[in-house]
Amino acid sequence: MILLEINNQIVEDTLTVKFKNALAGHKLEVTDVRIADFDGALFHISSPKNDKSKIIISICLKFYKDLQQHGSDQLLKDIYGSFITDTEDGYSVSLQVDLEKIPKNWEELVKKIGLLKRNCFAAVFNKYFDFQERGEEGHQRAVINYRNDETMYVEAKSDRVTVVFSTIFKEEDDIIIGKVFMQEFKEGRRASQTAPQVLFTHKDPPLELLNTNARIGDNIGYITFILFPRHTNRVARDNTINLIHTFRNYLHYHIKCSKVYIHSRMRAKTSEFLKVLNRARPESKNTEKKTITGRTFIRRE
Amino acid sequence: MSSTLKPYLTAVRHTLFAAMCVDNFSSQVIERHNKPEVEVRASKELLLTPVIISRNEKEKVLIEASVNSIRISIAIKQADEIEKILCHKFMRFMMMRAENFIILRRTAMPGYDISFLITNFHTEQMYKHKLVEFVLHFMEEIDKEISEMKLAVNARARICSEEFLKRF
Repeated sequence: MILLEINNQIVEDTLTVKFKNALAGHKLEVTDVRIADFDGALFHISSPKNDKSKIIISICLKFYKDLQQHGSDQLLKDIYGSFITDTEDGYSVSLQVDLEKIPKNWEELVKKIGLLKRNCFAAVFNKYFDFQERGEEGHQRAVINYRNDETMYVEAKSDRVTVVFSTIFKEEDDIIIGKVFMQEFKEGRRASQTAPQVLFTHKDPPLELLNTNARIGDNIGYITFILFPRHTNRVARDNTINLIHTFRNYLHYHIKCSKVYIHSRMRAKTSEFLKVLNRARPESKNTEKKTITGRTFIRRE
Repeated sequence: MSSTLKPYLTAVRHTLFAAMCVDNFSSQVIERHNKPEVEVRASKELLLTPVIISRNEKEKVLIEASVNSIRISIAIKQADEIEKILCHKFMRFMMMRAENFIILRRTAMPGYDISFLITNFHTEQMYKHKLVEFVLHFMEEIDKEISEMKLAVNARARICSEEFLKRF
């Protein structure tokens, strides 16, 4: 559980149950499931207008229009093909599956749908990785407001792609724990030669974002990944995208885990201190004690 | 135990033993009041000279004694930011449970991280030497615990970053 899953387990499980039931010939039922995911994503799995034989899987991303500018529609079309359907009201993308015509490789399809959120993100990275590959420079950097107040910037140079995350630490303590983590990320290259370079700045945005409207504040951190061609080539690309788009969640997840761990330690230590303190109380002498047979034992003094 | 810690704790132990000489004493200002004089500070003659025992600039103990109560305030070593928040969190955690701790004061004295208030009622109910033992045990353990927690956070951060970057 160190790394976060990039797919959505609940979506996969729900669909697997549906497909299995349909294949086994059970009666079809109306579906209506809402699932939340990272970065404010919402999934909605439902049956359209009482047509039980079909399932619509919709995802709602607040920043989808940012992604659309970078060709996410095209990428999703390439991946999901004919499953894409008219977008449900209030959602960003919808897929439709017909339970009466389940393809043979439905397990693959389930996996693919589970990766819907990841694939929405992938377009931006793909586009800029392509720019880098072709050596095109001077493209405007992509700005994705992936959460309220938190932004991701992607920029391509001829020899590298830089991805900058701005992230907000809600609590002061998070900043400090976050700093410890970022320090380790900075030095993480020692462990692995192939890792990208990671830079971290606190409060002020990095030089790349100078003269933009990047926020400045005490509780803001900027994390820069410098991806080299060995990360952006066609073979390694998918893996890089998988990792990098979960980075913000990964970082915050582990900051929270650390805090939980600290808290559980404090709890244990506090109860130990209490035990030591309670040793200071003399044992009361007149408690009723029972012998093994159940008779009351009375101390004679 | 390091060479400076032992004399420090010994000094605290002896001072506490000496200060633990408290007796029931009703307020001489307000009728039918019986309050810890070290907190009320109503009459000067009931308070003793406070003692500060310090190991270094940051680690010190303030022992204020009075006729019916003593107040012990401890400043805990905080070398860097992370130790500071760990200490702050831990002390807040304990002080929120002050009812269980009986002798723990709900807020620390300014300049210190945690305070204990021992009154004559406590020393009547509990063994004095065990109370002293508790304070010393606390002082010994708290440093250890905080540095262990810090190590744990660092270790976690390192493993996380390595795992993440290894995948690239």
